[in-house]
Amino acid sequence: MAQSSATARRALPGRLLSLALFALALAAWEALIRLRGLPPLVLPGPALVAREVVAQVVSGDIWPHLWVTLTEVLLGFLLGSVLGIGLGATVAHSASIGGVLRPYVVASQAMPKLAMAPILVVWFGFDLTPKVVIAALISFFPLFENVLAGLQAVGQDELELFRSLQASRWQTFVKLRLPSAVPFVVAGLRVALVLSLVGAVVAEFVGANKGLGALIVTAQGTMNTPLMFAIFVVLTVLGIVLSGLADLVERLALRWRYGE
Amino acid sequence: MRAESAAAERPPPAAMPAEAKIRLRGVSHRFRAEDGVFALRNVDLDIRPGTLVAVVGENGCGKTTLLRLVAGLVEPTAGVIAIDGRAVDGPSANVALMFQRPVLLEWRSVLDNVLLPLEITGQRNAGAVEYAGDLLRTLGLAGFELKRPRQLSGGMQQRVALARALITKPDVLLLDEPFSALDALTREALQEELLAAWSQSGATALLVTHDIAEAAFLADRVVLLTPRPGRVAHVFDVPLPHPRTAEDRYAPELIALAREVRHAMNEAGEHQAGGR
Repeated sequence: MAQSSATARRALPGRLLSLALFALALAAWEALIRLRGLPPLVLPGPALVAREVVAQVVSGDIWPHLWVTLTEVLLGFLLGSVLGIGLGATVAHSASIGGVLRPYVVASQAMPKLAMAPILVVWFGFDLTPKVVIAALISFFPLFENVLAGLQAVGQDELELFRSLQASRWQTFVKLRLPSAVPFVVAGLRVALVLSLVGAVVAEFVGANKGLGALIVTAQGTMNTPLMFAIFVVLTVLGIVLSGLADLVERLALRWRYGE
Repeated sequence: MRAESAAAERPPPAAMPAEAKIRLRGVSHRFRAEDGVFALRNVDLDIRPGTLVAVVGENGCGKTTLLRLVAGLVEPTAGVIAIDGRAVDGPSANVALMFQRPVLLEWRSVLDNVLLPLEITGQRNAGAVEYAGDLLRTLGLAGFELKRPRQLSGGMQQRVALARALITKPDVLLLDEPFSALDALTREALQEELLAAWSQSGATALLVTHDIAEAAFLADRVVLLTPRPGRVAHVFDVPLPHPRTAEDRYAPELIALAREVRHAMNEAGEHQAGGR
């Protein structure tokens, strides 16, 4: 108890400095607008943006868009993670399958997935599907890579122990390689979750009538710059929430691994 | 077949040339089969049932290779290794291994780590769990059953590893410098616990170590290997019968033996240096 309050006291100046920095940034922002006489169309001031955020949240106009984007992110993330973990495990488990698939995986990883958004719109239309596919493609690789790395990052002694116990390949996989890979998988999940938000928003730019990305495009069309900035704020909050979710998963995984 | 009964009547060291439990004949091992450096060259060694044999030597003398060969983890490039008269052709359920590191699975509780070998052979049952508890109690780990390895000290982790090695009631116990990473006091405590556990198990044990005093204190016989290529330079019979107590560490016989081994090691080293 005493210790935690001591830690809190030490953390306090840091937090205060953070807040001060934030206030400073807002002041600089406002000063820039006043000094240069920038119109809200080019750069709305912090107060205007804050008012727009409140207006959007209170009127409820932004909620359906937020909901659509969140759905795309979570569905894509889920799909991409399951496929990434599954295929990563398959490739790691079977050297022959791995040898066959590996070059294709590397090639498709080098390919920027966002570049495929236009063709996905052609294939899947303007609704949820192309965005989910993009988010899934983006989520896939961090998990695939990390599962593969995790399953192979098993110590020589541990493998020798399992060999000396005459464990089957399957037992070694389930009881040794898979649990060893958990920290890698969790790290992959974190990256995938954040990236799939990027994927969903960019895919919405290309062709959508709902979602925060689509709303940005609409705001641009109507020259509603304050709305654009309000969406940036909402996206940032969404990103922070998703990353908090990843933190939670990470904590649970570590507790499982090392005990309390 | 199992060794429980052999415990009672371990033959006294240096007496009767009883059938060897572990026998090495002309064993050589090269790191690359055709033209590699010899890790071991033409090693003959007999280990009587129920005895503890220590292999000492400098780093690179092939002592760990010797252990891995007996464990069936690597195949010799020449020669034969037999346990109970049957050639070793891979790991066996009767042989348990203990490493320099504890090699515990950190996501498993202490108890689940100890039970791992039985889980793999499908023999984990109520009796096994009870036996694991007994082993942990004997090793002073009562109350730690549900802890994770991370929550234990290095010495306690190595005790868990010892319990895991004993859980299958192995005939043969292979110990690869199991105490070398521990501090001096913990090491002594573990040596004594190993002695107690080993005499109770009746297993035949092969201990690899670079600690001559440890070899003298624990073993019935001490085998000195010399490096490049690894070969048996001397075999010493330890002139003090088991069971031994902590006090025996300072027994004049053991100190004299340790000195003798040390001199032989130096001589072998000089011989080698001169031969180059």
